[in-house]
Amino acid sequence: MRYAVYNLSIHPPINLRTNLRINLHVNLRIPGMLSSFSSRFFSSLLFALLFLVEASAQNWAGAEGLLVGKIASATGPKTMALEVLNRSSLNAALSDDIRRNLLTQLAATGVRFLTAEQAAVSVRVTLSEDLHSYVWVAEIRQDAHPPAVVMVSLPRSGVLAVEPAAAAMVLHEISLWSQPEPILDVAVIEGNPALMLVLDAHSVTLYRMQESRWLVEQALPLTHSRPWPRDLRGRLVWRTDGDNSHLFDAWLPGVYCRGSGSAALAMTCFESNDSWPIGADGFSQSAPFMSSRNFFSGTLSPGTGTQTTAPAFYSAAAIPREHSTWWVLAAVDGKVHLLDGVTDQVMEKLKWGSDVASLRSGCGSGWQVLATGAGAGRNDKVQAFESIGREPVAASIPLEVGGAVTALWTGSGGTSVVAVVHSWETGEYEAFRLTLTCGR
Amino acid sequence: MRPSGSLLLVAVSLSLVIAAPARTRPHYGGTLRVAIGEAPVSLDPAESERGGREMLPSLSRLVFDTLVTVDARGQAQPGLSPSWQADPGYRRWQFSIRRGVAFHDGTAVSSDAVAASLRTANPDWKVFAAGEAVIIECNAPTPDLPAVLALARYGIAKRTGGKVVGSGPFAIGRWDPGKKLALSARDDYWGGRAFLDSIEIELGKSFREQMIALDLGKADLVEIAPDQARHAVLEGRRVESARPSEWMGLVFSRDIQSAEDGKLREALALCIDRESMNNVLLQDGGEPAGTLLPGWMSGYAFLFPTAIDLQRARQARGQVQQAPVWTLGYDASDPLARVIAERIALNARDSGMTLQTTASAAADIRLVRVPLPSLDAWVALSELARSLGLPQPKFDGEPLQPSASASTAYAAESALLQSQRVVPLLHLRTAVALGANVMGWREDPDGSWRLQDVWLETGKP
Repeated sequence: MRYAVYNLSIHPPINLRTNLRINLHVNLRIPGMLSSFSSRFFSSLLFALLFLVEASAQNWAGAEGLLVGKIASATGPKTMALEVLNRSSLNAALSDDIRRNLLTQLAATGVRFLTAEQAAVSVRVTLSEDLHSYVWVAEIRQDAHPPAVVMVSLPRSGVLAVEPAAAAMVLHEISLWSQPEPILDVAVIEGNPALMLVLDAHSVTLYRMQESRWLVEQALPLTHSRPWPRDLRGRLVWRTDGDNSHLFDAWLPGVYCRGSGSAALAMTCFESNDSWPIGADGFSQSAPFMSSRNFFSGTLSPGTGTQTTAPAFYSAAAIPREHSTWWVLAAVDGKVHLLDGVTDQVMEKLKWGSDVASLRSGCGSGWQVLATGAGAGRNDKVQAFESIGREPVAASIPLEVGGAVTALWTGSGGTSVVAVVHSWETGEYEAFRLTLTCGR
Repeated sequence: MRPSGSLLLVAVSLSLVIAAPARTRPHYGGTLRVAIGEAPVSLDPAESERGGREMLPSLSRLVFDTLVTVDARGQAQPGLSPSWQADPGYRRWQFSIRRGVAFHDGTAVSSDAVAASLRTANPDWKVFAAGEAVIIECNAPTPDLPAVLALARYGIAKRTGGKVVGSGPFAIGRWDPGKKLALSARDDYWGGRAFLDSIEIELGKSFREQMIALDLGKADLVEIAPDQARHAVLEGRRVESARPSEWMGLVFSRDIQSAEDGKLREALALCIDRESMNNVLLQDGGEPAGTLLPGWMSGYAFLFPTAIDLQRARQARGQVQQAPVWTLGYDASDPLARVIAERIALNARDSGMTLQTTASAAADIRLVRVPLPSLDAWVALSELARSLGLPQPKFDGEPLQPSASASTAYAAESALLQSQRVVPLLHLRTAVALGANVMGWREDPDGSWRLQDVWLETGKP
């Protein structure tokens, strides 16, 4: 079987707060193996990527033009030898692009390029960076004078590196949103226009998709009287129960918020120790969340089979079976527990992290469990598991993320999972939609 | 030939069994035991800069909140003040004060209390309360004031009866000046209760004593000297190193006295073999420096050469007929400083100069170590200049803005270095060794610890 791997990492343009960043990892079978839905889906993404490449290039051009202007005003239209060194985290391809663009733009100002021995001016451009910006430095040497130095800065942000995947099922990540403050959960409603809610420690913010960008529509501040716990968690659920005035619910430690409205949203928050929903639509449980800690008590409602109590746990995922639903818990004791309705079995071999979520992919048995774990270095990974017999076995190659997973919740409808990653490189919190595609 | 799906599944399953330890959410509880070399005799943040090296800011921030914090990317973030604004000239600032925050003695962190604390920390400012906000009026434009207020010495403290009380994530349980500090977590901390229940810090311990405490299981966190970090890794210890950030360099006691004096200073700067100093003496515990700010912070440090140039050094030395014998002072309690000072004297001799090393404080040149004071480049440059006795850097030619651009910082730093008052040598890495149960370790790029985010695997949830 031949595969075409599109592994595209797009460096963001200058406006980093907007959702102009996609790390697409597509593993497509060719030729002609895509379903019509998949084809439309990937075509849309590739179109979006092309748009982003263009947007990105335009923004590099701004910095390139600025630097060229500074060089030109220092040298005038002379013969020049240009050297470009890359000391930054930019990859070689981007560095080459920037070099080519600098040559083109300098030529447009009347500069002619010669070797260093023949040229009147030698210019060395170093692509460098500081804590939060790219710093492009030009050292201009002419005659016997000490070099003149000009520089430009432009904001930078990192790009998650994703290893190639080649497993039976393939995990895909699509960037939804990033921001400096911790994101607790994200909910997206497809439609025209698409809408997105972002829950953080301070507010629920509604965004509307317009021209491939998420624009802020409305921010609804959260009210709470007690301090949040340090490892703050929160859950956000769009209501799809037909009550048009009740649009979403948000749960935070000791607080429940109800979103409502039609033309404009409103949100009311209450001090509440009500249980949070866990699991996915159709296979829902609820459990009380410990308001001063970061885990659920082991009380389950309505429970599974005869089981209504379990060890305290960080997260839970449903595994729908033919006649029942099993539950996998990432427990506070560091172990993975399987509740089958009768027994609580500890899965000793599983070395999962604290976050698990169910995903309905339609592949294999139909449902998989995504679980976090330690990846390379300081990075976490997310991996899909399939329940064959009682023991979950890996169903995908791990998806390495460029930071620590701080939240993993099943999305509305169960066909995707929202993962929030605290990026080591950018320091920002980045929400991704994780989906699975089937293999052979 | 590609492996079949079944084979891949088997391979994936095998990787499951031998996978690295899983990443878990933080556990609450437990006591972290720390041993450090610093021995501060006061916890008052306004006196922190007089206490010694970099440990104090990390400790101070556990007890005392600042109005603003600086994140790992050097950008100002809300602290006790959720928002702030300045007049167009950046002389008059207004900082709102977070509601509902209390000092550890239960009294409210009011705007009056904040103003009193800041007046103590900086008598040059005019600070007063205005409703639920604090107004700060500076003598000169201060566009970077939020980042300045993030310095540990501007920690908000209530001073009564010779005691200081903070509003940070930990309260002082026991304070034995210069010997021991015990802290306990505040359940009601506005920023979220720390994961640890308490922290016990043994002060004034040598590196050797710290390592013994770690080996005996009496400490969970100890410091490691920059030149010992590699050795500790080879011994299988769990070591975490920050980026090279602590500045080490030479500081002349006087300004340039004559053209000849300038030539000799130039010769000294050129003859020092920083590369071998770092590789041999420090065991790669830092990196050669030609600037005050490290390259990862400024983006332009590569413009300042660090390589030895003995030929030019001898040329510069040759332009002065009679070179004086300079004394080079170092901190006698710092073993690393002694070997570096001796190596500099050897390098100087190769260029025809004579340096006499001395442990006396009165010397022509001092070998100095200064931790990076801030992750904001401009504040770091200003604070370094202040610590080294250099003139304050000035914005030059650019309109005032809250954060200095790289070119502004470059111009200011170039001017400071051209004064030839200092000779940068190295940026040193700070390192720590951790016990196996210490989780969630976070260190800012400047080496500051974030113990409020640390948790213990053995802690009870």
